Amino acid sequence: MNIIQLNNLVKKYPVGNGEFTALNDINLNFKEGEFTGLVGPSGSGKTTLLNIIGSLDSPSYGSAIVMNKSIAELSHKEAAMLRNQHIGFIFQTYNLLPVYTVFENVEFPLLLQNKNATQRKNAVMEALEWVGLTDKIKSKPSMLSGGECQRVAIARAMVKKPQIVLADEPTANLDSKNSHHILQTMQKLNKELGVTFLFSTHDEKVMQYLNRLISLEDGKVISDTIKNA
Amino acid sequence: MIAIKLAYKNLVGAGLRTWLNVSVLSFAFVLMIFYNGMIEGWNRQARNDTQDWEIGQGQYWEPSFDRYDPYTYQDAHQVISEPIIQQIKKGLLTPILLVQANMYPQGRMQSVLLKGVDPKQNILKLPTSDLRFSSNETCAIIGKRLADENKLSVGDKVLVRWRDKNGMFDAIEIKIASIFKTDVPSVENGNMYLNIEVLQKMTGMTNEASILVAGKDSKLYDITNWDFKTPDFLLTDFDAMIQSKKAGGIIMSGLLLIIALLAIFDTQVLSIFRRQKEIGTYIAMGMTRSQVVGIFTVEGGAHSILAALVGAIYGIPLFIWLNKVGIPMAANSQDAGITIADTIYPYYSLDLIISSLLLVIISATIVSYMPARKIAKLKPTEALKGKIQ
Repeated sequence: MNIIQLNNLVKKYPVGNGEFTALNDINLNFKEGEFTGLVGPSGSGKTTLLNIIGSLDSPSYGSAIVMNKSIAELSHKEAAMLRNQHIGFIFQTYNLLPVYTVFENVEFPLLLQNKNATQRKNAVMEALEWVGLTDKIKSKPSMLSGGECQRVAIARAMVKKPQIVLADEPTANLDSKNSHHILQTMQKLNKELGVTFLFSTHDEKVMQYLNRLISLEDGKVISDTIKNA
Repeated sequence: MIAIKLAYKNLVGAGLRTWLNVSVLSFAFVLMIFYNGMIEGWNRQARNDTQDWEIGQGQYWEPSFDRYDPYTYQDAHQVISEPIIQQIKKGLLTPILLVQANMYPQGRMQSVLLKGVDPKQNILKLPTSDLRFSSNETCAIIGKRLADENKLSVGDKVLVRWRDKNGMFDAIEIKIASIFKTDVPSVENGNMYLNIEVLQKMTGMTNEASILVAGKDSKLYDITNWDFKTPDFLLTDFDAMIQSKKAGGIIMSGLLLIIALLAIFDTQVLSIFRRQKEIGTYIAMGMTRSQVVGIFTVEGGAHSILAALVGAIYGIPLFIWLNKVGIPMAANSQDAGITIADTIYPYYSLDLIISSLLLVIISATIVSYMPARKIAKLKPTEALKGKIQ
């Protein structure tokens, strides 16, 4: 079953008096439980594509259907609801809330879902167990290493058990050892929980973990390879 | 709840910047309450003093009497009827006869208003009992200001000239029986108090009075041929002066509040620029833009809550202490002609505290909301990159 469908997707941005085409006629489908990477050089449209799938942006033309909802037709509130319920984000720079502890950072998406305190505590501890950070619950992000911060970000994205996790260059700021650790964690979560992972990356280390590799260049798909059928 | 929790964490996390804003705002808050409390304390004391010394629970005026027109004084007197005499005997009313005169201290001439009062009265705080035991001499009591201005002491005699009922001049030497001090300048300035019976005899106005002052237990009712004036009417000038003082206080507090609010506004604008990534993250996690605007508004508004708490820490002991010891007024402040006690005891009403608190909270929330509205226009994709839009 396709969880994401992109049909003739075009995204243009106004630049000066003209327009810049960030995505050009993208046609892609993603099934539930995929572990897919969007690869390509900077400016190829990877992040733009993730933003549209994540309902942070909308297509100029064509359609993007995520969880049976057309992104272009969603209101701000409906888009927020889609992200709140079904989509987790992992960012290159972690984007943790600096004033919150690890526990509170991971708990945040559950507060938005109005879960009660017991539900939140159980879910947060479970998510921190997945990423091996149960001993750091009281630490602030400033007290953690880059790898630990990214693991907190993964726990935050996973704590609400979303259907889709969108990871924008998740290993770009990490060393080799931490990158492998992060990817192994995400791979494990993908297998155990069946969550669909969609990465943007140009990191070779990431590519070896991916099941499907989509190459983008100048906003166009130039290849779509399924590695392990 | 998230907004409050996050606001608290961000405010504490911002450290010195938060405490600077909170300090200025709390100072504005405390000063606002202090100033208004002082004015209110002054107002209450002055009203009480004026009632105790001059106007009682109201006055009945002879219909032609106009306190602003001295030309009316000559004819503003009438015979006290029998029912009124009964009220006077019961101590519910006290009559005053007003006669314009001149006195000649050290050869100088000065206008003076002779006020005939009942030596047995207890309605006004005037020490009229000092007029009770006069021998053959005509005695008067005067206020300290009039005494000082004219270098008069107890036992001194001063020549006084007046017109009688028929407009004929007459003159006599009056002995100063006592000198009193009061916070109400209008009681002292240019007034000389004589036994009403003596003044009636001097002017030929037997059993006549110009005004009747009502006492505390007086049941106010219409008296034929006398116009009743309420204390509020009699205090109109004073109320106008207090209102102008309050307006001055509002301007001063307003300026201080504006400075504090500008600091909050500035902090909010900076916050929104500096925390674009955080805003983008909130939106990515599923917050609506209005929820994010709410977080930033609550955060800015929370400055005022902290300011109230900080203000309470140093303000409450300060106010309690001031309320106990009072605020001494300058020795010559009464010379300006306004009723003011030597020491003012501020009065902090619950209304004053609540209204000041609401004013600070609401205005801080509004100035926090104004820059936060910009968030609603931010593109989340640009915000996530931390790009200034």
